[in-house]
Amino acid sequence: MTIPEFTMADFWPVIPAGILTAAAIVLMISEVFLGAAASRTYQSLLSVLACVLAGAVALMNMTDTPRAVLQGYAVMDPFSSFLTLVVCVGTGLAALLAAGFLQHRNAERGEFYALMLFAAAGMTLLGLSNEFITLFVNLEVLSVATYALTAWLRRGSRPSEGAFKYFILGAFAAALMLYGAALLYGATGTTHLTDMAAKLRAALAETDASGGHPKQMLIYAGFLLVGAGFAFKVAAVPFHMWTPDVYEGAPTPVTALMSAGVKAAAFVALVRVFMALGPAVDPQLPFIAFSVLALLTMVVGNLLALPQRNVKRMLAYSSIAHAGYLLLGVAALFAVGKDAKVGVLSSTPLVGISGSMQSDVYQGILFYLLGYTVTAIGAFGTIVALERREDETKGNAWDLDRFAGLGSRKPGWALAMTVFMLSLGGVPPTVGFIGKVLLFRAAVDAGLLGLSIVGMLASAAGVYYYLRVVVYMYMRPAPEGALVPERRWTTELALVATAAGTVLFGVLPGPITALLQRTDMLFHR
Amino acid sequence: MLAAALFCIGMLGVLVRRNALVVFMCIELMLNAANLTFLAFARDRGDMTGHISAFFIIAVAAAEAAVGLAIVIAVFRSRGTVNIEEIQTMKH
Repeated sequence: MTIPEFTMADFWPVIPAGILTAAAIVLMISEVFLGAAASRTYQSLLSVLACVLAGAVALMNMTDTPRAVLQGYAVMDPFSSFLTLVVCVGTGLAALLAAGFLQHRNAERGEFYALMLFAAAGMTLLGLSNEFITLFVNLEVLSVATYALTAWLRRGSRPSEGAFKYFILGAFAAALMLYGAALLYGATGTTHLTDMAAKLRAALAETDASGGHPKQMLIYAGFLLVGAGFAFKVAAVPFHMWTPDVYEGAPTPVTALMSAGVKAAAFVALVRVFMALGPAVDPQLPFIAFSVLALLTMVVGNLLALPQRNVKRMLAYSSIAHAGYLLLGVAALFAVGKDAKVGVLSSTPLVGISGSMQSDVYQGILFYLLGYTVTAIGAFGTIVALERREDETKGNAWDLDRFAGLGSRKPGWALAMTVFMLSLGGVPPTVGFIGKVLLFRAAVDAGLLGLSIVGMLASAAGVYYYLRVVVYMYMRPAPEGALVPERRWTTELALVATAAGTVLFGVLPGPITALLQRTDMLFHR
Repeated sequence: MLAAALFCIGMLGVLVRRNALVVFMCIELMLNAANLTFLAFARDRGDMTGHISAFFIIAVAAAEAAVGLAIVIAVFRSRGTVNIEEIQTMKH
């Protein structure tokens, strides 16, 4: 037996996850020594500090050369490093929000932050996994942590119901994906994505004695199952049923983390798996599959959000719609691949595909992920600031009426919420606008004109329900006897940070786009 | 083949059965079907990867079972039933 040799270069990409895990363990141990009445705000700050440190390492990794590390089980490329950065930003902000939220409910414990950090570590590792078993284990690390977080509040029936639905469907999706991976392993004899891509073509062409293709079924079934598993995780229509209930039932800071971090990580893993394996089989198939998913997700997500009066549920449907825009970007990736042909819903013929076009699409997807993370956490943060424990069991804590007259009662919060709503709707000068511009421009360049038009129309419809919140805040009088929500400095700090980020990156996207302007975003052997 | 049958039974079970615990068992069945597939292919090819994968999957399934059962208990405590059709308080 030989022991593989690792150098420091192998470990740089996993250091952010290491920092997050170490902080989580410190938080768990600290709980042993703390009395029930001890102040625990510093636990939230420790989580934020860990996220800042991990994010700084990830930022450093961005500029490193892409390479396979840890014997090919993981890769280090700007794509995964940027995801790590996004996840750290998201987790840090969610931890800040959680402090006030949990204190209000007497449920603040170190384990909550520890679970958050474990989930974040799983997300960052998921982004750089390059092998199916590694991918599955990391997916479960993040999922199991979020199941537990969803069920954190034991009061009332909603949290446990949300957690139950999330658990059953999440575990179901994981099992589908794992079985798909097992079938692909059977066809190729390897679980490494890069090796698998090389062997898939040969396995597809293999013929048996009677002239059939024995492994073709195996491979297509494997792809179908893996794809369905991922579609559940990113909440693409028609695999979105769990999203509204889970998002409503979960504690709001956890919802913020789910809508931002979990989704971003699942997207990055999805892109990595299908960009490695898809072209080896037939680039046309994943392109068609993702185009259809994107179309359905964009349209259905926006339509279902329209009649929502429950703002938290509305944001859940809006997060489905945003997954649709991102799927449009994924479909565009296949349209600009090396030997792609133009397919459904596209009318512009492709001329002279360059490598830079693919990097444009990556840039669009990543910028959108960052923009959505900051904005969605801000929007959920406003809900955290407004909601009261007493209303939760009745289920009207997130009704639109809660926002009535906020403009005069709490001008600062109303202004922040306006910024987030404009950003989600894609109105300048916010980060959501720039993200949509980059993403749709890349999709149009890739020839997906039809899909892009549908996407823009769908997002125009979305502006209606986002602006309705703004209308309620500024143009409806506050209801009689409306309670003034208490202020907590951690929540307000997170709101200020997200609002400032939303506007700042919307006005000056330069530094981020310069960071993302690379041709070697995804590591290929 | 056996593994495929097991997987189908599991999947049908998740989609059809109404008792939360049975649904939960069916998910475990699906995970074990994947395990069996990995092992069968690994033996067929004389490759170690599949054998090692099975161990990882067993460990992950155990962790998932722990959290899952805890959630089922929380559901039971808050409403006194584990029938899926009665766990429906949140509507559009």
